[in-house]
Amino acid sequence: MRAFILSTVALTALVLASPALAQDKPLAGKSITVLMPSPQGATIAAEFEKATGIHVDLQTLSWDDIRPKLVTALIAGTAPADVTEFDWSWTGQFAAADWYVDMSSAIDDATKQDIKGTSIFTIDGKLLGVPYTNDFRVMLVNKKHFADAGITTMPKTLDELVADAKAIKAKGITQYPIGLPLSTTEGASTSWYLLTKAFGGDLFDKDWKPLFVSPDSAGYKAMAFEAQLLKDGLVDPASTGLKDSQINDTMFAKGLVSIMISGEPGRLGQYSDPAQSPAVAGNVQAILVPTASGTTRSYGLLEALAIPKVSQNQEAAMAFVKWFTSKEFQIENYGNGVLPTRTSALDELNKAGKLQSGDALVEESKYVEPLFAQGTPTWYPQFSSAVNTAINAVAKGQVTVDQAMQNIADATQKAMTE
Amino acid sequence: MTAVALAATEPKRRAAGNGDAVLGVLLVTPIILTMFALVFFPLGQTVWDSLHRINPMQAGTPFIGVTNYTKMLSDADLGHAWINTLIYVAAAVVLETVFGVLAAALVNQVRVGRQWLLAAVILPWALPAVVNAVIWLWIYQPGAGLLNGLLTSVGLPFENHVWFNERTSAIAAVLVVHVWRMMPLTVVIVLAAMQTIPEHLYEAARIDGATRPQMFFSITLPLVRSAIAVAVTNATVAAFNLFDEAVVVNSSSLDTRPVVVQIYLETFQNLHFSYGMALSLVLTVISILVSAVFVVRLYNSTRLE
Repeated sequence: MRAFILSTVALTALVLASPALAQDKPLAGKSITVLMPSPQGATIAAEFEKATGIHVDLQTLSWDDIRPKLVTALIAGTAPADVTEFDWSWTGQFAAADWYVDMSSAIDDATKQDIKGTSIFTIDGKLLGVPYTNDFRVMLVNKKHFADAGITTMPKTLDELVADAKAIKAKGITQYPIGLPLSTTEGASTSWYLLTKAFGGDLFDKDWKPLFVSPDSAGYKAMAFEAQLLKDGLVDPASTGLKDSQINDTMFAKGLVSIMISGEPGRLGQYSDPAQSPAVAGNVQAILVPTASGTTRSYGLLEALAIPKVSQNQEAAMAFVKWFTSKEFQIENYGNGVLPTRTSALDELNKAGKLQSGDALVEESKYVEPLFAQGTPTWYPQFSSAVNTAINAVAKGQVTVDQAMQNIADATQKAMTE
Repeated sequence: MTAVALAATEPKRRAAGNGDAVLGVLLVTPIILTMFALVFFPLGQTVWDSLHRINPMQAGTPFIGVTNYTKMLSDADLGHAWINTLIYVAAAVVLETVFGVLAAALVNQVRVGRQWLLAAVILPWALPAVVNAVIWLWIYQPGAGLLNGLLTSVGLPFENHVWFNERTSAIAAVLVVHVWRMMPLTVVIVLAAMQTIPEHLYEAARIDGATRPQMFFSITLPLVRSAIAVAVTNATVAAFNLFDEAVVVNSSSLDTRPVVVQIYLETFQNLHFSYGMALSLVLTVISILVSAVFVVRLYNSTRLE
């Protein structure tokens, strides 16, 4: 009798609790796949499942390998995953291909306000991705090298930057003080974009007319500036074959370079960790990007999470996107080296003293602009490829700056008309 | 009586013959189906698609005829890539064949520990192409690289030399990586053929007073011609498909960019799928034609009279 009463009570409790459980975790029992760049936090899948009851198969690939996988699957009409990486530079192409779900109605206005980078992923009013990692450009410096060279204030202008680099070189602290990729890789292009901003200009006008061909344009000056840094022996000639990640990992992290012109805030954690970067730990700080005028500028290279239209689990996928970009998880995920995209999360981390070079990052984030005011164009890959090919050729002395800028303009024009 | 017996066995023989034919058809059906599904159908589909505009950024896939093929004629980057590829093919085939045959002859002379030597020789080929390329990337490093270190140690001014800042040395550097990886296959193929040459041919030649070079050119080379033809075909196709080495050691730099990298960029970076298909087809056809020319010439020049 006792057993009967107990089981009846338990069953009744379960029946009564079920609607509550279902309300709390309406998608419990569903399963989704997520494709993101490596590395990601080891506990993400378990935490999400605990919070929502949705099982996650988290697949990671190197960043460079993700795009071919996405493109191959999406052109074949299959879902590479229910939630995928979505880089800012893919926005134009992927929007034109109409491969991703419009999330503008699913994401509330408060979130859009808090994550300012959503504008970069919004094309024709459609929000195609919710930014989860806040990659904008700052300048990273080895403050010990500056101190050893007798430099007490950090550079605010490009002239001061060059003077400081020359002082560091003159003291023999580093042979090539400035880290600047000059290879035919995306990193070379993004550095030139930043310098173009630093010289006070933009890449295109509102009609997509190139603004970098004239010798008095910012883009032209940026290219000439890079060539001059190389000529002055401030940049390693071997940079013609190095990606930005290689310069970060093998040169700046080892104390062989003093200044990363186009620095990634997300790397501050790596550089402050004695286990990962014993040569520079404790000596690296972010500073505002020096410019010709002295007023800093930067732009965003954010990465977002997006949902392919062919995904069969869009509801559960949306739940993952919202959870992953929530303020609470962004603050937690900073421990995995992912800089929050929410202003509120950045502020909270900074107030708690947990954000490396927090003041500089928060300050620089106020100056972050989209690279293309009209949105990333469909021909961006061809443009970027033309840019880094031109930079590489200038660095090798194969073409003049004049020819390089014309080559970029010609390649862009060709790409636009295709 | 005999006529009756023959008449009786004929249907049996015919039945047995039909049975063999059916068995033959059954045996080849799987490979025919597999080849059709995995080779001929995709090939035909690719040819058909290359005549359409397939670009996910543009609606529809209209028929555009040979536009993708004529577009190649005005593609400057493709022209660069073709020149690089033809240099790779010509140089790689010559180097792999000459040094591969010589290395095979050398290994063939070794009597003790040949298997260990062979294992060491084929190691670069057994390693993944990317691993090979990364090793060579370290060797070419301007600062701490082995190559500059060796040259500097003998008093040459190569302390911080950047091998990829000049086109000729960059092409040569990529070529070395490729030849290093593919030559062992030539060695293995040719060595296998050399080991089938009867010893008495060399003994007879020795009795006739033939020198070692004479034996090599009059006995060894003609008898391994088929193997060399196979190795040359393989080397040609591999050189036309060169990708990993160029990308790993020098990214997609125009100085060293081969056609396959150009195809990759057009297809997966620019999303010009049907143009990428047209490029792939042209590369395949040229690769087959060049291989055929090499094989026929080599066969004619080395066959026994």
